[in-house]
Amino acid sequence: MIPFLIRRLLITLVLMFVISLVSFFIITLTPGSPYPWGELNPKISQAVKENFRKQFHLDQPIYKQYWYNMHGLFTGELTSIKDGRPVLQRIVERLPATISLNVYAIIVSMSFGLLIGVYSARNAGRWPDISLSVLCFALLAIPGFWISYLIIIGLTQTLGVPILGTESYGIDFPTATSRLLDHFWHLALPGTLLALGGIAAQSRYIRGSMIETLREDYIRTARAKGLDETTISYKHALRNSIRPLITGIGSLLPALIGGAVIIESIFAYPGIGRLGYQAVLERDYPTLVALNFITAGLVLLGNLLADVLYAVVDPRVRLE
Amino acid sequence: MFIRWFVFGIPLLIVALIAAALINVTQLSSHKKNEFTISTIGEPTKLNPILSTESAASEVESLVFEGLLEYDENLEVTTRLAKSYTQSQLTTFFFTSVEAAATAKSILETQSSRWTNWTLQSLELTGSELRLHLSQPGFAASNEIADLFDATSMVPISFVRAEPGKEARKSLAAFQKNHPEVHVVREWFDYDAAFELSALGDIAPLLDSFKDAKASLLETKRFLAEPQVHFVLRDDVHWHDGAPLTSADAVFTYQSLISEDIASPRKVDFDLIQKVEAPTPTDFIVTYRKPYSPALTSWMMPLIPKHILADKPLTWWNENFNRHPIGTGPFKFAEWRTNEFLKLERNPDYYQGPPWLDSVVFRILPDPIAQRLAFLSHQVDYWNVDPWAVSSFKDDPEFQVFSSPSKSYSYIGWNLRRPLFQDERVRTAFAHAVNVPAMIRYILYGNGIQSTGIFPPQFWFANPHIQPLAYDPKLAESLLDEAGWKRGPDGIRTKNGQRLTFTLITNQGTEVRKDIATLVQDNLRSIGVEAKVEIYEWSVFISRFIMKQEFDATVLGWTTPPDYDIYQVWHSSQTNPDQLNLVGYKNPEADKLIEQLREEYDHDKIISLANRLQALIYKDQPYLFLFVPNATTVIWKDSFRIRRPTAKGWVDTPVSTTKAGWSVYLQWFYRPEFSDAMPPAAQTVP
Repeated sequence: MIPFLIRRLLITLVLMFVISLVSFFIITLTPGSPYPWGELNPKISQAVKENFRKQFHLDQPIYKQYWYNMHGLFTGELTSIKDGRPVLQRIVERLPATISLNVYAIIVSMSFGLLIGVYSARNAGRWPDISLSVLCFALLAIPGFWISYLIIIGLTQTLGVPILGTESYGIDFPTATSRLLDHFWHLALPGTLLALGGIAAQSRYIRGSMIETLREDYIRTARAKGLDETTISYKHALRNSIRPLITGIGSLLPALIGGAVIIESIFAYPGIGRLGYQAVLERDYPTLVALNFITAGLVLLGNLLADVLYAVVDPRVRLE
Repeated sequence: MFIRWFVFGIPLLIVALIAAALINVTQLSSHKKNEFTISTIGEPTKLNPILSTESAASEVESLVFEGLLEYDENLEVTTRLAKSYTQSQLTTFFFTSVEAAATAKSILETQSSRWTNWTLQSLELTGSELRLHLSQPGFAASNEIADLFDATSMVPISFVRAEPGKEARKSLAAFQKNHPEVHVVREWFDYDAAFELSALGDIAPLLDSFKDAKASLLETKRFLAEPQVHFVLRDDVHWHDGAPLTSADAVFTYQSLISEDIASPRKVDFDLIQKVEAPTPTDFIVTYRKPYSPALTSWMMPLIPKHILADKPLTWWNENFNRHPIGTGPFKFAEWRTNEFLKLERNPDYYQGPPWLDSVVFRILPDPIAQRLAFLSHQVDYWNVDPWAVSSFKDDPEFQVFSSPSKSYSYIGWNLRRPLFQDERVRTAFAHAVNVPAMIRYILYGNGIQSTGIFPPQFWFANPHIQPLAYDPKLAESLLDEAGWKRGPDGIRTKNGQRLTFTLITNQGTEVRKDIATLVQDNLRSIGVEAKVEIYEWSVFISRFIMKQEFDATVLGWTTPPDYDIYQVWHSSQTNPDQLNLVGYKNPEADKLIEQLREEYDHDKIISLANRLQALIYKDQPYLFLFVPNATTVIWKDSFRIRRPTAKGWVDTPVSTTKAGWSVYLQWFYRPEFSDAMPPAAQTVP
């Protein structure tokens, strides 16, 4: 396994370099340029404009800009064009919100996906399975923002409960538990909506793999031994059907980061998705460079993790 | 079987937690704080008035920081941190000899009956220089006085600008050492990259040695006119950390604004300042290089604390002060959670008396639908309503709606560099063909008024007599016929084989502009004009088309402070790429009015000049002026009231709106359920 890991890490490094290069050129070659004060502001003099371009090296050729950005990224000196603060600080302060949202969404999509998948597989072909399948395909097909709006509108119009942000505002919380539950509520809504697609996908994977496993010879043997159906499903079949859940982690990570942009904006949730979206609109190159680099690293790491886990749960897989 | 518990247990646990959390939040509404919550779409960049220009930041800054001056509820200039201010002017004449100066002085002394007219206060003779103290800045009086003197006895003064690019100070000092014969009277540096100076005598050596630095003679005048503003600061103001505010803070604010390292985007407002002085802790005197009357309003610029910021590098500003600002305003900065909210707290030591509210919170809600729902579920107390939603609140007794014309207007700019739009008849025809009243009715749902030119109607210098061009497609058709554009076989007009067609561009993200473009396209088609609509993302739209000035026509809007100086947008010198006279409007008569306005200090003359300018540009129709949209704000009825001090004692009123918006009295807002601890009102308006 060690040589495999070393080889993979080396490949990852090369890949990171290529990604940083390509994404930098995509970012900077996009039409438009960063300009923090509004392009049509008559109160900005030419001297101020030139000074600004010099400060952020925008007057340099593009390969030099790439060097300044990457050098700044690794020394931690890269500062945002928008507010002048170090980009790493800007990203790190968003991490708690994004991580808690994504961890919650992964837990929900895995656990509910598992439950629905197992249930569907055990009732394969009968009406509970068919109706759940329809529901899952619907969840996959319907855009998340649309359901989000419906739920927000429904909840505010009927119950009048607060939903946006990470906590209720203008409130003197009576107890600490109340405050904690309030925080959980503000996490659970966007988190659950973010997880909907994941639930649908995961449950389909589990269902398929479980149905396949239930047809295996060793299951027939177990049945022949006279074991009851519950034991067969959960003890014998499920363990061998769980692999898609693990590969799912690798593919869920990028999907969640991508999907979070919209959900975070709708729910005014202070995560990385919104940071990136704002940075694109403002052409905040330093922030985009850092975000792309870190996200790419996370995705590659997620893939590696999935590969390793795969070998851990399935002894037949050997990593060489 | 553990795994079975796992499969069922976790989903059950999650569902139970969500249910508990839901029950909890429904119980919370009875625990409201004495807080005012405002929703804002964008997040401020830097909470430092020197460095930020966007409205999201200035909204917060207006409660934390204060300037020497401010606009009152009628959008006229009044004092804030300054107790009072006086404007004056020092006019200096240079003579060829001491005798000539003395002669000039005696001429003036014989004319003492005209001194009041000129606002001349006193004279001062130093060698061959004669200094006049005038109480009204401007050129008019000084010009009249100069006419009395013998032209040959006066030494003309030349104004020169050069741009060495770097080390301007050093190279000018070196020049002065080598050329003592060029008598430099005043010098001023634009960062260290350029300088402007006024010099006596022969300036040829100067122009010659700075030839490579684009040295140019700006103008030659008979005298040096230097306006002054003298502010007397209040002596009872303290920064939020307890330190007293003094004129040194005002000086420091000015120095920061013009510092190359800090690179303030607001610098240009302060470029005409020759020097600032602080002779005492409450006196602050600003001297300008030449008369420029709008300069006064630049002192609404909030002051920043010297004792905290001096000697600190910009990175320290960015990481500390700009995230935790310290000002003098009615509210103190408390907390900023990025992309969530900013919280301000009552300043208990505020010199006008502490505000009633415990705190003001700005919630950052980027989604318009979420904003609306946050308001409806009492999560925010105030909301800027989109035009389409106004009517649903207006008739509802549960809400209070404030509507007033915004400080902005929408227009279609015709690129006058294109031959098609150079014909005034064509532009006027288009103006008659576009149905602006219908636009206001269907796009703004009636929440706006037709624009009559460059100034929104609530500004004190706007021209109230301009009649908007009427919707009259017949007249439009006859104007086009007259201009030689005849209908072709496909209904589109042609002239000399050229079809009457152009591209109308606008930016993505503003539904209103897209709708305008569609309506204009339809209106023009009916008079035989083909407009092709193209929509681009903002950044592309600006950098590729607008700033390069490569477009036929564009739907855009201006948001403007109540400032009559529109040099950057309408003067003929500002038509190059990257400058803001986007359509390339050139009219010598307008140029003259714009220049006169900048130098005029008299309130009534400013109104008459601005009125003429507005009428002139409206007649020329370089833009098709569309409408001034209303800004509409809604709050829950009686959720807040205002109790503010007046000469009659405390006066208690409902929240209402003024020309300057509805939030000018935010520091006197209170929630009625928290009114017990407040002093009783002498007068209550229900």
